[in-house]
Amino acid sequence: MPLPKLEETLRSFQSAVLTGVDEQGYPISVRCQPQVDEAGSILRVHLPTNIHMMPGPAGLLCHSHDEKLWKLKSFALQGTLEHQEEWSLFHVQRFVPGMNVAGAPGPLTTLIRARRTMKQILRKRGLSHPPIPWNQMKQLADPSTLERERS
Amino acid sequence: MLDLSLPSEVTSVFETFRCCEFTTLTKQGVPITWPVSAVYFPERGQFLITTSISFPQKVWNIRRNPKVALLFSDPTGSGMTNPPIVLVQGNAAVSDEIVVLNEDMERFWKELYRRQPFSRNYSSNALSRKLMSWYFMRWCIFITPQTIRWYPQGDMQQASQSIEVTNAAS
Repeated sequence: MPLPKLEETLRSFQSAVLTGVDEQGYPISVRCQPQVDEAGSILRVHLPTNIHMMPGPAGLLCHSHDEKLWKLKSFALQGTLEHQEEWSLFHVQRFVPGMNVAGAPGPLTTLIRARRTMKQILRKRGLSHPPIPWNQMKQLADPSTLERERS
Repeated sequence: MLDLSLPSEVTSVFETFRCCEFTTLTKQGVPITWPVSAVYFPERGQFLITTSISFPQKVWNIRRNPKVALLFSDPTGSGMTNPPIVLVQGNAAVSDEIVVLNEDMERFWKELYRRQPFSRNYSSNALSRKLMSWYFMRWCIFITPQTIRWYPQGDMQQASQSIEVTNAAS
């Protein structure tokens, strides 16, 4: 993805989540505000002093939603992390569109792919389409049920 | 069963945040992060995440490498003011069975419908039920924390507080 587009896409989110790997091999994430370097597809991040990410594979996620977890929007970057004296540098290798950003699959494509994968998984396991208890699901989704349980 | 003995401001984050950032590691060790809705089971000291069988990448990754992380850093819709950012690192286990509804899933669906009311449209009529049946077939991913670290006021540049869960096991 060309840099101007990346910068524009990043700017449409308030902040990002950078994830690397710690000394024990666990993923470790920080909320940050990366700056796009003028030289190319490199993001500069100021990591908290008590977060120790190993140099190497890393990822960056930007996502947003409204107050009711709707109007979802997201994209991810894959790349590598390098530490310098004051900053850490995230070298972008791949742009992965998520939802409702340029390059993201539309709802119809998502639906077709989801149904195809479902059929493949079930076929591979020799399973038929499991019954969905729609009446129970409807009851669980009923706002009055949810409200009654909360009060 | 784990007694995590966490301060209420941390458990409130688990209960009120509408989503968190969940990371698994690929075969090549590349961290991949998704926004997900995690349900906290305080009586077990565990988190439950589910994924439709149509989006199996998280499951493949966990079966190769159970090390995962959850970051609770987006308070939108939580109703909390200046909540802490919470980082949970731990080990995940995936159910082998494809599940639509059981006791744990009942809790999950209720929580999801509360956090994301529009998702009830996926089962609202015959057409959406036919087209969206994949959405309801799920794998359960249980996460047992190893370390929980939180940053008061959501400021990750300030000192964090943390617990090592192995020391907190009852």
